[in-house]
Amino acid sequence: MYKSLIELNVKEEAEIVSFNGSSLMNRRLEGMGIRQGKMISRISSQYIRGPVIVSVDGHQAAMGRGMAMKLIVKPVTSNGV
Amino acid sequence: MRVLLLGNPNVGKSAIFSRLTGSHVVVSNYAGTTVEYTRGALRTEDAELEVIDVPGTFALEPTNRAEAVASEMIADGDVVVNVLDATNLERGLYLTLQLLLTGKPVVVALNMWDEVQKSGIVINSGRLEEKLGVPVIATCALTGEGIPLLKKRLPEARSSSLVSENGASLWQKAADISSDVQQKAGRSATVRDKLDHATVHPVYGPFFALFVLLLSFAFVAYFGDFLHEILEDVFELVWLPAAMWMSGLLGGGGLVHDILIGGLIDGQIHFEESFGLLTTGFYIPLAVVLPYIFSFYLVLSVLEDVGYLPRLGVVVDAFMQRLGIHGLSIVPLMLGIGCNVPGVMAGRMLETRKERFIVATLIAIVVPCMAQQAMVIGLLGQAGIAGLAIVYGTLFLLWIVTGLIMNFFIKGESPEMLIDLPAYRKPYWESLWKKIYMRMNGFIRGALPYVLLGVFVVNIFYTLGIIDYISRAFAPVITGLFGLPGEAGAALIIGFLRKDVAVGMLAPLGMELNQLIVASVVLMVYFPCIATFVVLFKEIGLRDLLKLTAIMIFVVVVTGGGLHLLLQHTGF
Repeated sequence: MYKSLIELNVKEEAEIVSFNGSSLMNRRLEGMGIRQGKMISRISSQYIRGPVIVSVDGHQAAMGRGMAMKLIVKPVTSNGV
Repeated sequence: MRVLLLGNPNVGKSAIFSRLTGSHVVVSNYAGTTVEYTRGALRTEDAELEVIDVPGTFALEPTNRAEAVASEMIADGDVVVNVLDATNLERGLYLTLQLLLTGKPVVVALNMWDEVQKSGIVINSGRLEEKLGVPVIATCALTGEGIPLLKKRLPEARSSSLVSENGASLWQKAADISSDVQQKAGRSATVRDKLDHATVHPVYGPFFALFVLLLSFAFVAYFGDFLHEILEDVFELVWLPAAMWMSGLLGGGGLVHDILIGGLIDGQIHFEESFGLLTTGFYIPLAVVLPYIFSFYLVLSVLEDVGYLPRLGVVVDAFMQRLGIHGLSIVPLMLGIGCNVPGVMAGRMLETRKERFIVATLIAIVVPCMAQQAMVIGLLGQAGIAGLAIVYGTLFLLWIVTGLIMNFFIKGESPEMLIDLPAYRKPYWESLWKKIYMRMNGFIRGALPYVLLGVFVVNIFYTLGIIDYISRAFAPVITGLFGLPGEAGAALIIGFLRKDVAVGMLAPLGMELNQLIVASVVLMVYFPCIATFVVLFKEIGLRDLLKLTAIMIFVVVVTGGGLHLLLQHTGF
């Protein structure tokens, strides 16, 4: 069951499947270690359309919601709430 | 021989650079502090090497301007010191492998070794050296650990045939090597983690940000004032008798006396109003501005080194997006509060022309530099907090309104933010003081000559009657529109040279509080000083600078005129 990062619950863990954005943005994400096959978890998000904070390899990054919507992930536990 | 320092953003390249070369560069705990390369020299026993601090990059194919600088630099380098954040090995190694593909001789500096030890990760650097086929040295640039070894082993730099092709396999290789050489111990959440979460929490985050900003402002205002009072006493006790003695020698009047000492008020030198080179010329920068600059850079440097600024960027992002810029733009805006020049230059960390234009314009119009603020605080603060509140409230309002309007009218893209949130770090006092010292030194060297020149020009203008001429020529605008005495027009002209001197010129005019408010706002909003103007021209080009100037003139006329009418009608 795939979903976008934005639909992932806070503290839920998932595997990165793909990024449906520009190749430039894809390269930037990759460079930061946010790439296919990596485990990603959502730390928190800001209200009123603020960025989403994620953790990959124990390091945190903040990304805009538009970007988070294009990042497709596969949650590891289907009952993750 | 030319040595390049290359690596991901915020891994400590600049810290290693200043350790290797002994030269001073600004180091902070967030990505993008270095937007242009810096050169330095490293003397070894048998050679003098040129060392270049290259802006951080994630890959050799550039995705923004800073990265483009990095990838262009590679061709010119003879040896590459590849700096890695040891706590983030895999993604650092991805760049290392790309570097090895270029065939350049490489030495790897495994930096932030102190953080590795704290976080319970164990890295076998000898094994990493074996795997990569190039020297690997563990370093902690902030304390200097491992730097002598890095210098010693620099000649051992070599190329490696570990990888032969680019592509997805490079990532796999980086991941394999990374997991092979390190063991990560599971660790429980620390106080630092909890603080980390609280400061970007959707509810507590904004409150924390507001608290930090208010506390910072209060600290700068009160600690600045505290230092100012001490320095004022020093001037009164030590410098006043000496200056009075010189005044007597010069006969108490005449052209030379007035330029050097200034006008006597009731037979006495008045440091704020005499306007001589040796009196007001030194008093303004050293006794009024310097204390506030020091207090500001103390606060800013601590916030930078702790790593709070990117998180502040996250918290304000939603708000800033409505102004056409993303949250990280808070960094150039904050730097601009110290001095507009580095603020405008830091705008380079933004990707699109639209963003850079909006940030440059906001800095030029609504971000008054600390030198100017120190003078305004001194001028208005005497009459209580109300005047200052109106001035800052107006600037805040202008920030929002001009931002909204620019975002609406200016074509182009405003990309979303994508940033690393570096771990919070306890600042190393040595490097913190070095940074503050550099910034203070920069202020004294950069500003003092201009302040003296400004005071000199004011005196010449008075003597030649140019001030009177300007006052009359600008009276329709200055008096008619802003309700200010004609002489304030001369301050606006001098403001082009130095804003602090310009505010100083307002002091002897004996204006009412409402006039002082209007004059302060007009001075803060209209043309930035010449140094900022030159940097603006370099950063955004002539066309955009003309556009910026048009916006500025419009804003200053509307705001100055509007505020004048408003204060008059409310009988303030």
